[in-house]
Amino acid sequence: MKDKSILIVDDETGLLEMLQSIFERAGYTNITTATSGRTALKIFREHTPDMVILDVMMPGMDGFTVLKEIRKISTVPVLMLTARGEADDKFSGFENGADDYLVKPFLSKELLLRVQAILNRAYPEKERIVHLAASTVNLDKAKVYRGEEIFSLTAKEFTLFEKLFENAGRIVTTGSLCETVCGEIWEGYENTLVTHIRHLREKIESNPSKPVSLLNVKGLGYRLIVKERNNEIN
Amino acid sequence: MKSIDHFFRRYILSSIGILVLFFVINLFLIGTILLTIYFNDAKDSSFPMESFSKLIKEENGTVTTDPQVQSILEQADAWAMLLNGEGTVIWQNDLPEELPRSYSISDVAAFSRWYLQDYPVKIWNYPEGLLVVGFQPGTAVQYHISVKTNYLPFLFCGGIILLIINVGFMIFLFLRNTRKVEKAMKPILAGIKKLSQGEILHLEEKGELSEINTSLNNVSAYLSKKDNTRAEWIRGISHDIRTPLSMILGYSSEIEDRTGLPDDVKKQAGIIRKQGEKLRTLISDLNLTTKLEYSMQPIRIQPFNPYELVRQVISEFFNNGLSSIYEVTVSETTSNASKTIYGDIALLYRMLHNLIHNSITHNPEGCQITVSVEIDDSACIFHIVDTGNGINEPYLELLNHNASIPSSQNICGDTEHGLGLKIVRQIVALHQGKIFFSNIAPHGLCVEIHIPINP
Repeated sequence: MKDKSILIVDDETGLLEMLQSIFERAGYTNITTATSGRTALKIFREHTPDMVILDVMMPGMDGFTVLKEIRKISTVPVLMLTARGEADDKFSGFENGADDYLVKPFLSKELLLRVQAILNRAYPEKERIVHLAASTVNLDKAKVYRGEEIFSLTAKEFTLFEKLFENAGRIVTTGSLCETVCGEIWEGYENTLVTHIRHLREKIESNPSKPVSLLNVKGLGYRLIVKERNNEIN
Repeated sequence: MKSIDHFFRRYILSSIGILVLFFVINLFLIGTILLTIYFNDAKDSSFPMESFSKLIKEENGTVTTDPQVQSILEQADAWAMLLNGEGTVIWQNDLPEELPRSYSISDVAAFSRWYLQDYPVKIWNYPEGLLVVGFQPGTAVQYHISVKTNYLPFLFCGGIILLIINVGFMIFLFLRNTRKVEKAMKPILAGIKKLSQGEILHLEEKGELSEINTSLNNVSAYLSKKDNTRAEWIRGISHDIRTPLSMILGYSSEIEDRTGLPDDVKKQAGIIRKQGEKLRTLISDLNLTTKLEYSMQPIRIQPFNPYELVRQVISEFFNNGLSSIYEVTVSETTSNASKTIYGDIALLYRMLHNLIHNSITHNPEGCQITVSVEIDDSACIFHIVDTGNGINEPYLELLNHNASIPSSQNICGDTEHGLGLKIVRQIVALHQGKIFFSNIAPHGLCVEIHIPINP
């Protein structure tokens, strides 16, 4: 992922330098910058980067207009990085086709994580393998390998696991998990969620009654502890 | 507006009261005057004609008078004459020269009703004659009224009806005028009330009170302009600060994470980053509180599950690496766990976040924080309880009485600007809710928030 080309557009040259430095220090090798919307579009047409980080308020052509132009010719992921933090600005960004929206001032760690997540989603590797304490999960095949045994994940178990995996190490609330499985109206679904979690544990844990990978956080939700993450083909 | 209605109602009632009082006092005064006149012989009929006539005697054409006659007439500044059956004066006392000494029947008929050559007169039937007493011109008024008997009830009832119509018409005119004043004054009074609540107003600039309306519109426009300028200034400043702050945060974390640098440099970079993050929170709070204060924050009411909201807020604290010295738990009553309420999710999220953050900031030695949710028929009640240091009583008083929140210092010596709690109060007010702060035994703080289910 670190070799993906990223185009960063901002009229503040100081900020551009800092962003380039942050990404290069994080291991990204292909960073291009532009200080105006027109230059950005020119570079985009010539080099077609894998991702664009775009400021909104720029002299001449603003970020939303640049985004619209990009969307006419490409579906490349775009993250809006702007000082405009109003809800309506965010809605405009997403309506115009932005993949994510980060308001300044931001923490560099947050920016790197978001970019990583966007790239992972936009350019998935051939197979996604998740190593847990007692098992290995192949997300592309929706299969769990535990010792000699192989289990298939049902559609709901798979959706649940994927949600937990996307937030690995973080608490995912009961409501968020219910919403992932059954949509916006999930009230009353909590007991069914417990059943799905139990079935999932039976497949990924060696002792489902004493789970070590899929943990319950009392009163809040669940947390997936990933032993090792490997995006390459084993 | 209730007080305005009350004022006008009281005004009308008191005015009607004044009117009634006015009539009663007038009736009393008229009665008093009439009685005074009667008892003080002020009426012209007070001249004692009957007793006076007895002092004059006539026998066979010869008239004899009592000595009192002269003095009585002098006292009344009057003259007197006695006419016989033919109209000839057979006796007189001080009869003016210009008056005839003989009268026809028609003359007698005329002066008995009106005047005798400008002299008001009184007559008294005398055996075979007529006693006439005359007074000085201008000392009495005489009118003769003649009405048919069958018209008397009509006159009496007509008089009463006339009185009632007059009083009714007076009350009608009075009420009409009051309504007119009320109609003109109500928008002005309502406008002043709106202004006092910081709302923008626009009154129609017409009618007799248009000058006041224009002045109020000008005041409103001025206040609005002032508010907008202030809000825009804060917005602009906070916007312009965002990019430089991004660079401060970015470079300081880079220095902090860079290997090979001396520890004290990394530590100092860490301090810059932490202060930068505080500045970031401050800008965000300042922006939000300004927008809430000047109604620039559109409220997005939608259904949501309050238990899930609490879970998300607490989870965020854990996911962002909350120190293990803090224990944050959610306590929920399972009976209503699936119930949804209405509100602005983002703002209520911020409200709960600020309160938990407040407990963490003011208890650096660690504490237990419990968030509970209850839903009854009308409201959703949040309790945020910590086992920390609590709040001193004067500060608690300020918080509970909606007073402005002064800056304070936490135990680490950092200044807290109270914006977080101000935002909490603003969000609660925006949802028409209520908030109560109280210390709990043996130590700790309890914040209770009531949010109506349908704000």
